Amino acid sequence: MADEKTKSNRLELAIAFLIAVVSLTTALAAWRTNAVGSKAGDAARLGLIDAVKKQATTNEDWRRLYEQAGYAQSYAVTLAGIEAMEASGDPVAAAQAVNLRDFLLKGIVQLADPLATDPKYQLDNGTYDLEQYFTDIQAEAPDLLALDPQASFRLSEQYSSEQRWLMLGTVLLALSLFWLALSQVGGSRLRLGTLGIGVIIFLIGLAWFFFVEVLFFFLRGGAL
Amino acid sequence: MSETMIGHTGQSPESPPPLVETPAARPVENTERWKMMIIFLTMVNTILVAIIAGLQTDANIRANDANRDSQYYAVLTSGELQRIGLQNNYDMNTYARILDNTSRSLVMGYTGLQLTEGGDDQGAAFSNVQALVAQAQADAATKFSIFYQDPRYAPKSSDAQPELQRYIDDSNTEALALLAKQNAASDSYKIWSGKSDSYVAVLTILAIAFFLFGIAQSVNPRLRLLFAGFGIAVIVLGVGWALSILIG
Repeated sequence: MADEKTKSNRLELAIAFLIAVVSLTTALAAWRTNAVGSKAGDAARLGLIDAVKKQATTNEDWRRLYEQAGYAQSYAVTLAGIEAMEASGDPVAAAQAVNLRDFLLKGIVQLADPLATDPKYQLDNGTYDLEQYFTDIQAEAPDLLALDPQASFRLSEQYSSEQRWLMLGTVLLALSLFWLALSQVGGSRLRLGTLGIGVIIFLIGLAWFFFVEVLFFFLRGGAL
Repeated sequence: MSETMIGHTGQSPESPPPLVETPAARPVENTERWKMMIIFLTMVNTILVAIIAGLQTDANIRANDANRDSQYYAVLTSGELQRIGLQNNYDMNTYARILDNTSRSLVMGYTGLQLTEGGDDQGAAFSNVQALVAQAQADAATKFSIFYQDPRYAPKSSDAQPELQRYIDDSNTEALALLAKQNAASDSYKIWSGKSDSYVAVLTILAIAFFLFGIAQSVNPRLRLLFAGFGIAVIVLGVGWALSILIG
C-alpha cells in the first residue's frame, strides 16, 4: 500500500515537471507564433508605405511629364506659326517672325527643355517621345523606383502562412498541457491514459512546430 | 461508555435492531461512473477547439490580407485618377488649341476675302497671313492630339467630330478596374473579419463546454450525466454555428 502511494507520488512529481516543461514550451510557441504574425503585419505595413511613396513619386512624375509635354507642344505650335510667317512672303510677317524667333521662342524653348531640345526625344512626325521622357524622369530617383510593395506583400503572405501553421502547433501544445493537467488531477485509474495522450500530443505539436519553422526558414532563404 | 451510547440511541441492548438505514446498508455508488465518457467528450471538444482555433487564425489572416489589398488598390486608384486628370487636361487643351486655331484661320481667311472685296489689299494680305499662321499652328497641334492620331478617336470623315465619349470611357477603364478590385478586397475583408469574430464567439462557447465537462468530472454520477448533457448541447450549438460560418 505504502509502495503504491510512493509510486503515485513519484508519478505526480513527474507529471508536475512535465507540465512545467510543456507550459514553458507552449509560452515560447505562442510568443514565436505572435512574433511571426507581427512580422507579417510589419511586412504588409512596409509594403503599403512603399506603395504610397512609389505612387506619390509616380504622380509627381506624371505631372512633370504633362507639364513638359504642354510646354513642348506650345514650342512646336509657336514654331510652326513662325515658319508659316517666314514662308508667307509677306515682309511684315517675315520681320515679325525674326523677332518672334529671337525673343519669344527662346523663352518657350527654355520651358520646354529637355523634351523639345534633346534629340533623343524627337520623333519623326515632329512630336516627342513622352514614354522615353517618363522613363528618364523615373530613373532620376532610382531608390524610389526600386521600391517593390509586391515583394513586401509576398513576404507578408509567407509569414502569414507560417503563422497559420505555427498556430496549429501551438494549439497542439496547449492541448497537451490540458491533458497533462487532467492526468495530474484525475483519478489514478485514468492517470496513465491521459498522461500518454498528453505526451503524444506534446511530441506531435513540438515536431510540427519545428518542421514548420525549418520549412519556412529555407523558403525565405535563411531569414527567421 | 456503553451506557452513554445506549442513552444516545435510546435503545437497550435487548431492544430490536433500529429501523433507520445505516450507511453500511446503502448500495455502494460507483463514483467513477461515466468518467470515461466525460474524458472522451473532453477529447472531442479539444479537437474541435483546435480546428476552430485554426479556422479563426486563417480567417483573421485572410481579413488582414484583404484589408491590405483594399488599401493598396485605393492607393493605385487614386494615382490612376490623378494620371487620368493630367492626361485629360493635356489632351483637351491640345484639342482646344486645334479648334481655336482652326476657327481663327477660318475667320482670318473670311476676313481676308471681305477685305479683298472691299479693295483693301494690304489688310487682306495681312489677314491671309494670319489665317496661314493659325492653320499652320492648328496642323502642328493636330500632330499632338490623340483625337486625330489615334484611330479609335479620330473623326471618321472630314466633317465628323472626334469620338470624345469613347475617349472618356476608355480613359476611365483602368481606374474602374482598380476600383472594382478595391471594392472586392473591401468586401472580402468585411466577410473574413466577420468570420474571424464569429469563430472567437464559437471558441468561447466551446470553452463553456470545457467548463461543464470539468464540473461533470467532479460531481456525482447522476449530476455528471446532466452536466455532460449540457456540455453536449453546447458543443452541438458551437459546431452548428462554426459550420454556418464556414459555409456562409
